[in-house]
Amino acid sequence: MAKYFKIALSILMISAIIISCKKDSPVDEDGLLITFRQECFVSNFELLGADFVSVRSKTAVIDTVAQTIDVEVLFGTDLKNVYPQFTLATDCKLDPKITGKTDLSNLANPKVYTVVSGNRKIRKAYKLNIKYQ
Amino acid sequence: MQNKNIQFSFLVIMMLASLLACKKEEYIIPDPVSQLTNDCIKRTIGPSIVSLPLEFAYAMAIPKSSGKLVSAQVEASIAGATGTYLEHRSFFTNASGVDVPVLVGSPSVTVDKTTKMTYSIDTNAATLRYYYVIPEGARGQSVSFTFSVTSSDGKTASYKMGPYTVSKMSIKRNLAVSNGVNAFISIEDMAVYNAAAAAPIPGKIDLVYLFRASPTTFAHALVSPGADAAYLPGVVLPSGMNRSTKLRKVFNLQDRNLANLQFGIYVDDIDLKNVDMVDMPNYAIGLRAEAGVWVETADKKYRAYIFVNSITPTGTAVISMLRYTL
Repeated sequence: MAKYFKIALSILMISAIIISCKKDSPVDEDGLLITFRQECFVSNFELLGADFVSVRSKTAVIDTVAQTIDVEVLFGTDLKNVYPQFTLATDCKLDPKITGKTDLSNLANPKVYTVVSGNRKIRKAYKLNIKYQ
Repeated sequence: MQNKNIQFSFLVIMMLASLLACKKEEYIIPDPVSQLTNDCIKRTIGPSIVSLPLEFAYAMAIPKSSGKLVSAQVEASIAGATGTYLEHRSFFTNASGVDVPVLVGSPSVTVDKTTKMTYSIDTNAATLRYYYVIPEGARGQSVSFTFSVTSSDGKTASYKMGPYTVSKMSIKRNLAVSNGVNAFISIEDMAVYNAAAAAPIPGKIDLVYLFRASPTTFAHALVSPGADAAYLPGVVLPSGMNRSTKLRKVFNLQDRNLANLQFGIYVDDIDLKNVDMVDMPNYAIGLRAEAGVWVETADKKYRAYIFVNSITPTGTAVISMLRYTL
């Protein structure tokens, strides 16, 4: 009888351990929470110079249908050393990531940034068009 | 039975140890000064830069019954530059926080590394300021100080301060620049030249100061002679002036030494050594008062930090710079 009791207890313990180790919520490869949200857009865009002061001459125009961001920068802006800042819909993330100063000087080939939705199922590529004042 | 006794003894020892460990140490009231005593603090903060003073406050006291103060002196490990002195006035801070001087002796005399002040009044306590102007010979080296005081009973007390590492930077403050006139800046010379003076030394000119009201984003600018003509509108450079100096704009970096003792930020050797100048442009336009620019000369011999002290709408500015030899 005691033998059966021990076996039952062991099974119970193992089950408890397995259940306790199970993750409640899924995370992506960056350790970010994957949610149910499907929103996928850029809501605001800023461009900072090497001195972390804005180099925009006017507000950036974000077209969420055409998936473009049009920015006009001040005369003399050094686009080799700028810091783009994207504001995204809730739970979205950006690909590629912006980790520091960025070279956006190749105006003939605008850089493309992809917004990934909270559920990680929708991807929208935004073309970043920059022109000088 | 023996086992039980051991356990009991162990328990008693543990309890005693716990009691001892928790015992508070009684505060002991320090003895009043019974002999000649001294103390010192360094009042200057930030990097030690050649030509700038290091300031110390040296306090000394002796019980009235033991005598009076006779002299105070400071010996530096490297002789100070002209302007080094030990105050002959003692300062106390009044209720309003103002330092009030009281004359206590004759002006100090500096001979080689030693600065000495002799008391002329009967006093048994004083705090003297010591200003050590860092000499060129101390650049990149360490300097230390021995403060000492002598009393009428023949006793001497001394206090060692340092060593302090002297910065490799050089400083030049309040250089007036003006559009089209005193517009040519040399980092090597840490000087501003007009066109006539700059023409014979084109290889030394790293930057040109410009002011253009239009476009409005141009305004005050520092442009290297080797920059694109778009950033040198209407400028005719003397022959051979073509250095391409790297510049990196920075905002909110008001170095205290450059900003004439305003603000509490310091640029130090390590900042100039580590600043990332890779791929930086050779022009900086749209400069404002209290903005700054990191500079790296074309030959990579110098790095500098230029601070804009002030600007005027008529195309003049005052700049200050810290220069670091790489």
